[in-house]
Amino acid sequence: MTTTAIITLIAVLVIVLGVSVITRPRHSSTVDFYLAGQRVGVATNSWAICGDYLSAASFLGVAAAVYVSGLDGAWYAVGFAAGFVPVLLLVAAPLRRYGEFSLADFLGRRLRSDAVRLHSVGVIQLVILCYLIPQSVGGGITWELLVGHGLFGLSPYSTGVLLSTAVIAVLVAAGGMRGTTWNQAVQFLLLFAALLWLAAMVSADGFRYGEAVESLSNQPLMNPEFLDGSWELTQEQNAVDPGQAAVFGEPGARYGQLGQVALVVTLGLGTAGLPHVMNRYFTAPTGKAARTTTVWVLVLIGIFYALAVMMGTAARDIIPGAAREHPWLEELTEDGVLRVPEHALPVLGRIYGEEAGLGLIAAAALIAAMSTVAGLLLASAATWGHDVYERHINPRATQRQAVWVGRASTLIAAGAAAGLAIALRPEAFTPAMPSLVATMVTWAFAIAGSALTPVVVLTIWWRRTTAAGALAGLISGATVSIIMFLSASFLEASPLRELMAAPTLIAAPLAFLLTILVSLRTRPPSEVEADWVIMHGTAADRHAERLAQLTLRERRRRKEDRRAR
Amino acid sequence: MTHSPQEDGQTRDTPAEVDAAFRTQRRVALTYFIVFLVVVAAFPLLASTLDWWLDSRLIGELSPGFLTVAVGLYVVFAAIGIAAATLSSSVESQMLGAQGNQNSDGPDPYSSPGPS
Repeated sequence: MTTTAIITLIAVLVIVLGVSVITRPRHSSTVDFYLAGQRVGVATNSWAICGDYLSAASFLGVAAAVYVSGLDGAWYAVGFAAGFVPVLLLVAAPLRRYGEFSLADFLGRRLRSDAVRLHSVGVIQLVILCYLIPQSVGGGITWELLVGHGLFGLSPYSTGVLLSTAVIAVLVAAGGMRGTTWNQAVQFLLLFAALLWLAAMVSADGFRYGEAVESLSNQPLMNPEFLDGSWELTQEQNAVDPGQAAVFGEPGARYGQLGQVALVVTLGLGTAGLPHVMNRYFTAPTGKAARTTTVWVLVLIGIFYALAVMMGTAARDIIPGAAREHPWLEELTEDGVLRVPEHALPVLGRIYGEEAGLGLIAAAALIAAMSTVAGLLLASAATWGHDVYERHINPRATQRQAVWVGRASTLIAAGAAAGLAIALRPEAFTPAMPSLVATMVTWAFAIAGSALTPVVVLTIWWRRTTAAGALAGLISGATVSIIMFLSASFLEASPLRELMAAPTLIAAPLAFLLTILVSLRTRPPSEVEADWVIMHGTAADRHAERLAQLTLRERRRRKEDRRAR
Repeated sequence: MTHSPQEDGQTRDTPAEVDAAFRTQRRVALTYFIVFLVVVAAFPLLASTLDWWLDSRLIGELSPGFLTVAVGLYVVFAAIGIAAATLSSSVESQMLGAQGNQNSDGPDPYSSPGPS
């Protein structure tokens, strides 16, 4: 381990531990542990949502997908960014105004159904697991590159997976939503700064975006493949024009036209069903604040993804030349092309900043993985601790007991994710998937967008939605999406396979349709008008705003009094 | 932990007011959602019908297609978000809580960028 690696790791630990200690929960209440007291301001929450959302899949995976597939890889970035448009238009403000602990609790209470709550918990846990595993994989890859040594007889990859997951699990269990919020906010700012630094270094070195895309597009796109015990460069086929070679700057290296739309719809609709992101909205003080927060998020992640796409292009353009000058690139590349595309950003960091640059990018990658893991573990804790334990197993549980169950569940979920991440080594999947980390995250988006988003949207916007309808939507959306993306692995490359791999285009309309049909055939829910007044009215918002104004005025008056004395 | 409507007369919304605001909000959300879908669906359509989309060069020597995916769509998403949020908040403030707002004498303390 180099001195830089040690300094980097210590810096990451000091930052997350320091923030966690400063912002530790003051009370052992569930509102404080799961919702940070519902007093998180717009800027803090938008940074925290970005930290939560911009995972290893966004930091390592988007640049990797662009690196390996050119313009087609950028569809990941478009889909991830698009997701917050439906959130803003259809979900953020009404969801916050109803003010529950989690998506499962929102659906359960709105539809007055324990069955809906428990089925939602099942779907949410599936989403969390699919999302957690690639984050742990990201932690393992980063440790492997940064440190290169294992501890306690473990491989470097396994050590990275276990350490990054364990550290964040302990911090979440101790810090709850308040500590996690500040950690995620600080982590996003560090992540953003690292990407900006890399973009500045690459640009200062003479990188010209348009010229790079032009020169990369003048030759067929080639990527390394592990065949018969050795690595070879193979030419990518064009999925839009069969028989033609794929090129970097045009569509077709990965997806046909149907595949592009299917991927963007899967990622775009999935965000509104991601439990760790949606749970953050419950921490906003009002529905209007939740909506404003989403606008900030849209702007910030737009800048982030535009930079990530640029860096994927820069890596493709710069690394072949750098491989001739830097001997350390030999074992990572094949004829100047990276074997593992997720190495694109760390390698750029090392080229421009040597060990310190690698340390900075690796720290950012670790931070990206850890901040998302934190959100996922907290969402898992909320569903087990609140939706299952407090609601069903021990309804008389004290606040303290519920919080402790939440803490224990974070450790169990972290253990399961780390175990599965160790079983799934990324090299085994590259280059069959454009980026393992991004592909696995797509599965989480597929389940969320196919099962949870249709039900959540109908529950907010259609009075007639019933518990039976919601169950039909949840079960059909989850089942169809899982069958489709698992079946895609057994199909040859074709438009059908692209559709099956990103199944929300089929599964979500089906879930919408079934929810509506079953709801129409079952008895309409009672008390829906009262729910409507809460979700679509602004009385609670105005009350909260008035209280906040009074508090601010009182603080100002006391300050002036002190000055006068 | 459902927040019930506040019981003081200044902050309560009536079901009729809420229903009217809900219908307007639904129209706003659907309109912008359709704009969003059209923007996203336009890319493959333009790529397959217009050679200019991938062959010509615009800002920074990038093709319109690459420029759209690399930068343009994020700008459009942010613009949709800002426009929709502004309109939704305006609808709410005009259609709900007229009585309560008369007593409010300051900006929304939660919409300022300050931390919690």
